[in-house]
Amino acid sequence: MFPNGKITPSTLSIKDLSWQVHWDKERCTLCGRCTAVCPVHAIELGVHRKRLIQMPALGEIGQSNGSSSVNQVYYGVRQKTDPAYACVGCASCTLVCPNDCIIPYKTDEADKLRFHINRGGQPRRRGGRRNVRDPDPGGILDRIKFIRISMLTDPALDAGRHEFELRTLLGRILPPEENLKMLKEHGWIPPVREIYPLIIGAMSFGALSPNMWEGLQMGVAYLNEQLGMPVRMCTGEGGCPPRLLRSRFLKYVILQIASGYFGWDEIIHALPEMKEDPCAIEIKYGQGAKPGDGGLLMWYKVNKLIAAIRGVPSGVNLPSPPTHQTKYSIEESVAKMIQSMYMAWGFRVPVYPKISGTSTAQSVLNNLARNPYAGGLAIDGEDGGTGAAYAVSMDHMGHPIASNLRDCYLTLVKVGKQNELPLFAGGGVGKYGNLASNAAALIMLGASGVQVGKYMMQAAAGCVGSESDRCNICNIGLCPKGITSQDARLYRRLDPEKVAERVVDVFLSFDTELKKIVAPLGRSTSLPIGMSDALAINDSSAAERLSIRYVV
Amino acid sequence: MDSQHYYRISGMENGLRLESRVIEERIQKAVDSGNRYLEVEAFGHHGLGGRLWKAGEETVSVRILGSPGQRVGSMGFPNTRIEVMGPTSDDVGWLNAGAEIIVHGNAGNGAANAMAQGKVYVGGNIGARGMTMTKRNPRFEPPELWVLGSVGDYFAEFMAGGIAVVCGYRPQDPGNVLGYRPCVGMVGGRIYFRGPHEGYSQIDAKLTPISNEDWEWLVSNLKTCLDAIKHSHLFGQLADRAQWQLLEARLPHEKGSKPRISVKDFHQNVWDRELGRGGLIGDLVDFDRSPISVITSGHLRRFVPVWENREYVPPCEASCPTGIPVHERWRLIREGRIDEAVDLALAYTPFPASICGYLCPNLCMQGCTRQTVNILPVDVTQLGKASIKAKTPELPPLTGKRIAVIGGGPAGISVAWQLRHRGHEAVLYDMREALGGKISALIPKSRIPDEIVGAELGRVREALPHVYLQQKLTQDDLEQIKADYDFVVIAVGAQKPRVLPIPGKDKMIPALEFLRQSKLDQVKVGKKVVIIGAGNVGCDAATEAHRLGAKEITLVDIQEPLSFGKEREAAEAIGASFRWPCFSKAVTKKGLELTTGEVIHADTIIISVGDMPDLDFLIESIATDRGFIKVNEHFQTTDPKVFAIGDAVQLGLLTDAIGAGRKAAQTISDILEGKRPRGDTRKMLDYTRVKVEYFDPRLTKFDGVEECASQCSSCGSCRDCGICITMCPQAAISKKENGKDFELVVDPERCIGCGFCGGVCPCGIWNLVENDPLE
Repeated sequence: MFPNGKITPSTLSIKDLSWQVHWDKERCTLCGRCTAVCPVHAIELGVHRKRLIQMPALGEIGQSNGSSSVNQVYYGVRQKTDPAYACVGCASCTLVCPNDCIIPYKTDEADKLRFHINRGGQPRRRGGRRNVRDPDPGGILDRIKFIRISMLTDPALDAGRHEFELRTLLGRILPPEENLKMLKEHGWIPPVREIYPLIIGAMSFGALSPNMWEGLQMGVAYLNEQLGMPVRMCTGEGGCPPRLLRSRFLKYVILQIASGYFGWDEIIHALPEMKEDPCAIEIKYGQGAKPGDGGLLMWYKVNKLIAAIRGVPSGVNLPSPPTHQTKYSIEESVAKMIQSMYMAWGFRVPVYPKISGTSTAQSVLNNLARNPYAGGLAIDGEDGGTGAAYAVSMDHMGHPIASNLRDCYLTLVKVGKQNELPLFAGGGVGKYGNLASNAAALIMLGASGVQVGKYMMQAAAGCVGSESDRCNICNIGLCPKGITSQDARLYRRLDPEKVAERVVDVFLSFDTELKKIVAPLGRSTSLPIGMSDALAINDSSAAERLSIRYVV
Repeated sequence: MDSQHYYRISGMENGLRLESRVIEERIQKAVDSGNRYLEVEAFGHHGLGGRLWKAGEETVSVRILGSPGQRVGSMGFPNTRIEVMGPTSDDVGWLNAGAEIIVHGNAGNGAANAMAQGKVYVGGNIGARGMTMTKRNPRFEPPELWVLGSVGDYFAEFMAGGIAVVCGYRPQDPGNVLGYRPCVGMVGGRIYFRGPHEGYSQIDAKLTPISNEDWEWLVSNLKTCLDAIKHSHLFGQLADRAQWQLLEARLPHEKGSKPRISVKDFHQNVWDRELGRGGLIGDLVDFDRSPISVITSGHLRRFVPVWENREYVPPCEASCPTGIPVHERWRLIREGRIDEAVDLALAYTPFPASICGYLCPNLCMQGCTRQTVNILPVDVTQLGKASIKAKTPELPPLTGKRIAVIGGGPAGISVAWQLRHRGHEAVLYDMREALGGKISALIPKSRIPDEIVGAELGRVREALPHVYLQQKLTQDDLEQIKADYDFVVIAVGAQKPRVLPIPGKDKMIPALEFLRQSKLDQVKVGKKVVIIGAGNVGCDAATEAHRLGAKEITLVDIQEPLSFGKEREAAEAIGASFRWPCFSKAVTKKGLELTTGEVIHADTIIISVGDMPDLDFLIESIATDRGFIKVNEHFQTTDPKVFAIGDAVQLGLLTDAIGAGRKAAQTISDILEGKRPRGDTRKMLDYTRVKVEYFDPRLTKFDGVEECASQCSSCGSCRDCGICITMCPQAAISKKENGKDFELVVDPERCIGCGFCGGVCPCGIWNLVENDPLE
């Protein structure tokens, strides 16, 4: 593969790569689709010399027919070994191959590529999710079981037959006596939204392609308007298309404000023309996938459209710093941000902060509990996804969501505010495909609702990314499914309508599954938030840590 | 039958209520004893009237007075007829397997639940979950539930068969005879009903027209029912076909989700209507966002192939300091134009035979792409030697511009040659009678036959005037020359030998002087010769010393000798020994004394540690740097009218000097024509673009220039082999003739950007580049 047999420290063989492309010469029709589709140019057509040695039977060797060496060439698809063109395992080649003759396989041992993806001193960056395998199959959430089955002890409900009101509240809920007092005195009662407990978490317009974003929003609108499911979606930090701001669909939207404040002047300009209030405002302080780190939308992704929505000129780098620039203390920064955001909509819209999972989450929570305006707290655990981050942040920074959420909930219980300040959990919900059971586990551990991002990308748009470091190239804008790309040549592969259909499918099936979990527990009219007596795990340490039952 | 004929069983005995178990025992016993008419006074007893199989085929009539408990007639048999004289409790007819049950009042929840055969007639309303989980066994007639009034909530849940008839007479809720959420999970059976309803599970059931046959069945059975519940007088009122509706379970293939509008409709009629044409961002973009396939052509291709013919310098040409387009000459040979191939060289060098054929280390071959994979590089020396026949092209008429060239060596001749071929008059000034510098004066005859050099110098002399300087050039001379000419090029070479400042240094013979004299056979050497400095000049000196009779020749160096190529090979061939590191201390009568004290015996000591230009004639406007003339990238000195090339600028190979001459001439010519001096901005073709797999790696020698030409990869220049046209899976490439030349063009509407053209191209012409960005 390399000229003259000279090697450099970063000269790798196919064996050293993490993904190895297997190609079958017999079945290949040399149609060119695989090399045309490969997002990273990991494969190319190669010329191969094939030497044939011919030897007549020994007895037949004469002067005119001796042995001979004949060179021929054949053509075939081959994999590049330059780390810059390493296969990412997305298998787009397999997808387009008419003869099923090409497929990438994960190496059978620790790859050597990982030691060479820091060229120019630049450590690896990627999109996707944490790539550290949990020691046990599935995450902790998958191992939680629902053990309290009400057959005769409580009304035995039937998920198919009974009517369910699986709704949750977003916003600060006053204790009844205070609520009545405020009602009597015409005081201010914080706005509270009754919403569906599965929320599409923050994914910005920019991190996602226009077609993906529109598909998600369309699906959400459909769920609300056709199926009566009050599903909400958070914009992420990338502004909100002006048309959406001025439409009735805005009420299905949670607007996010983060450290870059992108698109917020456009949102402010739209205020006088809004037909509806947004569902809520999420103040982003942290992200589970890359806690304490900011983001940077590279200039080449800031095309005319992104620029218009974010309210910036096109072709410039857009940094979102790790922190808000005018943040000095929890008290000061949270209080002023919450106040400002409430004021924008005349104190009619709930405002809550989102933080990344952290051992300091309870400090934030304590602060919020004292702030009568805080409308909730969203916590994003280490398994959250991202469009771009340093691999080290993604793999090694952050706090798992289960215990973080649990600690916060139990703290609220201790101060008697568990029904007042809703907690929202995200980060790896449905990571291994078990969306409803993960969500139910978190709800019973104390979450009022869960936020999902990656799951939606996988289920609604066919994202092929995985914890085994498959694809995960959201950061370079080459998403083979068009989910995270700003290149129309890629994102037009994605039909917003089809995405919307899948969003609807996902929510309907989730709804059934959630019912299948809560009905046997005897719940139908209220979400079993914090109903941890229904939970158990076959790991005594985990049980102890989460204050749930240990079962074997 | 009169009541006195009934066998009476009371649920009360001695003022105490009997357990259901006792009543059941008494009923079974009574039947077993032949009683066929039973009257039971009930006090909430469970399951009355069921399981009376002991009567065999004979009909058993059970009349229930008082208050029956749950599950009247449960597991009832076809021989049983139960008549409840008042209302009844929950689950009447539960798991009924054939009994006819008449209730002269309301029935509680769960009426007919799980009923499989038989009939239940209720002369009032029923509670929740009536007719639930009923089924029909094909071996029997379907079960029937008749309700005179209305049914409670969750009616017909999971109903899997049977017929329910709800007459809607004096219903509990006049607005809804079917209750709340009927038919959820219903998979079989039918429900006739009369009166208003507030919806049913549309996933599971559907309204269906009542056929004549259905109506006949309903009317005849309605009569039976009304007779049974003693409301025959209502027949006329109820038997009005227009008032009846029929619900039927959907068949499995008719089930599906709740009917709702498609997302496509929603997109068009709800989404786009609210947001405007183009949806979410229709106001911000005006381009098409409709779905496309994964494999695209035209402007939707991510990558496009570009035919980069001759856009890159092939490695041979890039490696050649003279810049001869070697591959182009091989092409001409492949095309049978060997004369043109030979003549082409003279456009680049006046010495194609001497240098390419004999004296050059042939950097083009070292750089040859084939060499990078250890395949024999194309042998340019064969072509070089053939170039002796090259004919001087016709010289253009003179422009009137005159350039003086100081120095008649390879550099000077090269620049003058090039200038003359651009129409400018170039006059060579040289201290020697014969032109040629090192080539003619110093290089041993063993390296190149005299007649070759002679022939090529002959070509030069025909084209260029020569001023034979009789004495050393002075500063005044140079000023004068500068005044007389448009430009001056200094190409005096490096003639001043470096010496070592050690005792006895005068006894050393400078190598160049030795070589010059040896070429004229004017020098003698002893048996033992030591040469200080084992570079290529030292090697030449060693070879010459051997020719002149030396027997023991030692080359010493302070480091591993840098000599290479033919010079080194020749020196080794004559048995010269190389020693390093050796530091000279003194030259004595015995020979060379080293700093170690060792003495290498020598009769003759030659010093060959490099030479410096002799630049005493330079005028002040021309700057030097450590003994060499300072020039910019165009070989222009600090005096813009004066250029300098060759060893006077930097020691180098003959080809370096000739290349410098060519480049300097180009610059001077550009300036004279009023143009900005142009260099070659093309980059060298990346080796990896060339496909060497097409060649036989076992080739060990070339049989003539034709074979050489056939084995050239033609890096960066299309060989017109057509493999890209053949390979293209889309048949998108075609050849377009352009007069003498041709071009390969891609049909963008066919091309999918797979890059196969680049993958197969032996010459590395095709490049796959990112398509222009879409906004």
